[in-house]
Amino acid sequence: MFFHIVLERNMLLHPRHFGPHLRDKLVAKLMKDVEGTCSGRHGFVVAITGVESVGKGMIRDGTGFVSFPVKYQCVVFRPFKGEVLEAVVTMVNKMGFFAEAGPVQIFVSNHLIPDDMEFQSGDIPNYTTSDGAIKIQKDTEVRLKLIGTRLDATEIFCIGTIKEDYLGVINDPGAAV
Amino acid sequence: MFLIKNEYFKGSQFLKAKYLMNCEVSLILDRKYEQLQQMSDDPSNQVSQVFEKSLQYVKRFSRYTNPDAVRQLCVLGNLCPLTVEEATLIVLSIKTRGRSHEDEDISKMLDDLNLIKKFE
Repeated sequence: MFFHIVLERNMLLHPRHFGPHLRDKLVAKLMKDVEGTCSGRHGFVVAITGVESVGKGMIRDGTGFVSFPVKYQCVVFRPFKGEVLEAVVTMVNKMGFFAEAGPVQIFVSNHLIPDDMEFQSGDIPNYTTSDGAIKIQKDTEVRLKLIGTRLDATEIFCIGTIKEDYLGVINDPGAAV
Repeated sequence: MFLIKNEYFKGSQFLKAKYLMNCEVSLILDRKYEQLQQMSDDPSNQVSQVFEKSLQYVKRFSRYTNPDAVRQLCVLGNLCPLTVEEATLIVLSIKTRGRSHEDEDISKMLDDLNLIKKFE
């Protein structure tokens, strides 16, 4: 799910940037450093929306760098265990399928796919119900529930299920209505 | 934006965090993309893959595309009106635009929202 939170970071700035545009350079460096990164605690930082405050700079002993504590607001994407969300299928194989929800990848194992869906290999590998009514293949939109999230320092990976009520395919581009 | 406490989210930063709906995120990311376009000629070079993927995702799964509708939804969520009259006064277009929305439907919707509030 997307959140809007306030984060804080100590930015190190080289003395060559000191001058009338110090603050702009600091914000630009912040955006370059932080946007697109992922932390296990906050999730993926998608975009910085604003800088709340920039504290007083402390000169580091030994080097000439100055560290500024910066408080900034940003949009983050953080998946949680038990969350139900919609994702797009990216790959299907006989172990299950991979889906993507924004920047995070989710794996749904074939044990967590309803029993009436079978894997069909071929040009377009997919999972289909026995009557062919519902199909899960690449680019299908599915609603799944996250049953586990693994948070490293720099990466998030999730496991999901579609074996519960109201989960599964939402919109199937392959099937005819 | 909704500001709700929830036992799901442990960790003090998320207690004060505001949840964002996909449509709101879509508006935010669009505005950011435009800002980048104004600043340089080739914004697609500068945005990260995370940004691109998130933008594609929210655009695909946004149920509400009209920014006014998004704002009205947030207002309803923030103010939690109890009666249909209150809701129509706050958000005029419920009555005027959707003639198909019966009063019963609107009051049912408000009851659902209130239920959610009670079970916090």
